[in-house]
Amino acid sequence: MPRYAMVIDLRKCIGCSACTAACSTEWDVPVGYRRTRVSHTGEIGKFPDVSASVFVDQCNHCDDPSCVKPCPTGATYQGADGIVQVDRDVCIGCGFCVEACPYDARHIDPFLKKVDKCDFCSARTARGELPACVTTCTAHAKYFGDLEDRSSEVFSMVYERGAKRIETEDVSIGPNVYYLGSERQLDLVATHYPPRQPRMPAAGEWWSQVLKPLVLTAVGATFAGQAVAFFYQLWKGEEQFEE
Amino acid sequence: MGAEATGIHTIPGHPEPLTPEQAGRMAQKQIKKHHVAMILLHWFNAAVWGMEVVTGMALITSEYFRVAPWWFIDMVERFFGGRANLLQFHIAVGLTWITVFLIYGVFGARTYLSKEVLDKEVALDRDDFWWMIIRTLRLLGLSKKPLPPQGSYNAGQKMFALVVYAMVPVIMVSGLIMTFHWFSTTVVGWAVVAHFVAVGVVVSGLMVHVYMAAVFPEEKPAFFSMFTGNVNELFAYHHHFKWWREYKMDEAAWKRKIAQKGAGAPDDDGASNKERD
Repeated sequence: MPRYAMVIDLRKCIGCSACTAACSTEWDVPVGYRRTRVSHTGEIGKFPDVSASVFVDQCNHCDDPSCVKPCPTGATYQGADGIVQVDRDVCIGCGFCVEACPYDARHIDPFLKKVDKCDFCSARTARGELPACVTTCTAHAKYFGDLEDRSSEVFSMVYERGAKRIETEDVSIGPNVYYLGSERQLDLVATHYPPRQPRMPAAGEWWSQVLKPLVLTAVGATFAGQAVAFFYQLWKGEEQFEE
Repeated sequence: MGAEATGIHTIPGHPEPLTPEQAGRMAQKQIKKHHVAMILLHWFNAAVWGMEVVTGMALITSEYFRVAPWWFIDMVERFFGGRANLLQFHIAVGLTWITVFLIYGVFGARTYLSKEVLDKEVALDRDDFWWMIIRTLRLLGLSKKPLPPQGSYNAGQKMFALVVYAMVPVIMVSGLIMTFHWFSTTVVGWAVVAHFVAVGVVVSGLMVHVYMAAVFPEEKPAFFSMFTGNVNELFAYHHHFKWWREYKMDEAAWKRKIAQKGAGAPDDDGASNKERD
């Protein structure tokens, strides 16, 4: 079974946003929303000790995705190939997964009112094509492939050339978008765009921590009471004539 | 009780012991408890609840919120051929339910939802309060006191009705919010929670409702009345005395009216009836 990953070479990226445009066009992403974003750290330091980096982010299709568990209906799920998918026919637009993603890679589509995000262009890859952002990248900075395939470019970049994940000690869920760059660039990106703690909205907290246990206790207690009454009824028997 | 309760003055104000003959006669006589529209609505509602609770439980798969075991979720999902179909079915049945209740509300409000009916059939009175205490003590074997007289619905049924009246709008509105993604994402998130809690509260009461109606021996005539529309008079006398009394008063008034018509009396039950009383 393949395990898909993407590698972005920050040394090559020129920040042209062609990947964002291609993605938005390919998937009809509404204006103002993005499945993949290009950011710039701005100049850091003083001449001659100046550094800067472009950063491209999208859904990381993490090994242990924090967005899957909070989805009430199972609309967000991880396929056997590791790609985190959204079944829009099942999504109710509650936004729990949006809060849960530490990379803020999800948004609610303002027209469909359902969640949207990068799916590594599953429809294209199923046809044997590369993701739209990879084919469009003007600087050839994006690579996509199978980490299980030792002959793939991404395998070599991740396991031989040391492409890095953007993680912190607190948030380490195995993102499958890797970055190549100078040490300084990678430090800058890790400092400026670190993953945040996954959040659960208040509604979800109340549901899981308070209301679900209460409802289950109420239903369980009622059921137990009914069971006792039923066995008492069996023991007592029914009378032929009512007084 | 007097010989034959045909006149208002012979109808007892409180339950009195019956002779075996009276009890036997009353057990044979059927009196109307539910209209056909109410019976159909009840079973439509029961079918909807059965389908919606099953599909609703199977729809919640999150590790944080799941209530049904995986084998159940898989079974229901396979039956519907996928989660999308399952959700569509849940929504379709829910919208049908709302539509039917709206129609019922518009056309049946005067008959079933008037203040007079709600006061009589839903609002709790002092007898209901004591009924609940004594009923509980009797179930626990701690009391042998007779139960206070009840109207057409007993206090337990009224309590359940009040819970349902409070929760059904929550279920409907939260369902509509989720279906049509009204308002903000935050509101949709809270709607999911409200939907779950309101259904959970009703299901707790529903379990008692189903047990008392279908399994509890003393209430069996009430269960069958949801098919036939009728209960026997003896059951009404013992379990719904206040309603039985009202029925007898209406019956006595009707008999007097018929008798007056037969005697050529004017066709109104106004002054002439009062004079006669």
